[in-house]
Amino acid sequence: MDLLTGIEATNGALGAQRTRLDVIAQNIANARTTRGPDGKAYQRRVVNFESELLRTQGAAGRAAGGGLSTVRVAGVGIDPTPGQRVNDAGHPDADAQGMVTLPNVNLAFEMVDLITASRAYEANLSVAKNARQMALKTLEIGK
Amino acid sequence: MIEPVANSVNYQLARKLLDASVMRQEAISANIANAETPGYRRLDVSADFSRALKAQFASGSRPAPGALESLRPRLAEDPSVRAVRPDGNSVEIETELMEMSRNRVDHEFLTDLVSRHIKQLKMAISGHAS
Repeated sequence: MDLLTGIEATNGALGAQRTRLDVIAQNIANARTTRGPDGKAYQRRVVNFESELLRTQGAAGRAAGGGLSTVRVAGVGIDPTPGQRVNDAGHPDADAQGMVTLPNVNLAFEMVDLITASRAYEANLSVAKNARQMALKTLEIGK
Repeated sequence: MIEPVANSVNYQLARKLLDASVMRQEAISANIANAETPGYRRLDVSADFSRALKAQFASGSRPAPGALESLRPRLAEDPSVRAVRPDGNSVEIETELMEMSRNRVDHEFLTDLVSRHIKQLKMAISGHAS
């Protein structure tokens, strides 16, 4: 029995959302990187979430699908969409035709994702606060 | 000697509902954690529990002491909500946050109720309040 109920699920989600924020920060930082370590333009990174079963409540609980699950980062993938190509012959990374491949990062997408991730983080934080208040109230029983 | 308090229907009911509210908090935390997991279905305390509880009081008479002991709240997928999002996830974060604050008030009320029962017992033993 855990005093802070459901805190494992919230903990997993907070970590996952943080990773997502980190990856968005990386995408925005590299929005104009035309040459990475592999010599190519930066490709946008995407975080994949997966849910992880924490526990079920016996056979009856399993049948009802009543398992408690948290979320974790399954992996960070690469968005394969080709980047925009622009004509800029003076650019050091321009090819023989004078074309430069830009990263496939769309700042508008990243900003929307950023807001979603930080709101999700806040929602999980308020769950953690609520669990704490409930635990404190439980400890007051009989006082 | 303390059986009248420990076996009173109100006290037992408060304890059962307290179990259910702790379990609901667990469900809500899992729901909010998985708010963006594709295909995730929201969890809640199973409807069997409230149905069984209502059945106990349906006849208009109070259930016999001990009759509530067999009731066990458990978590189950909530069949009443439809997934409106294309990824099949049935969690709406606003609803979950509202449920959470409602559940918190329920929990506070129930802890107060249980406390009051224990305080009464203490008062009867010591003969003075507080």
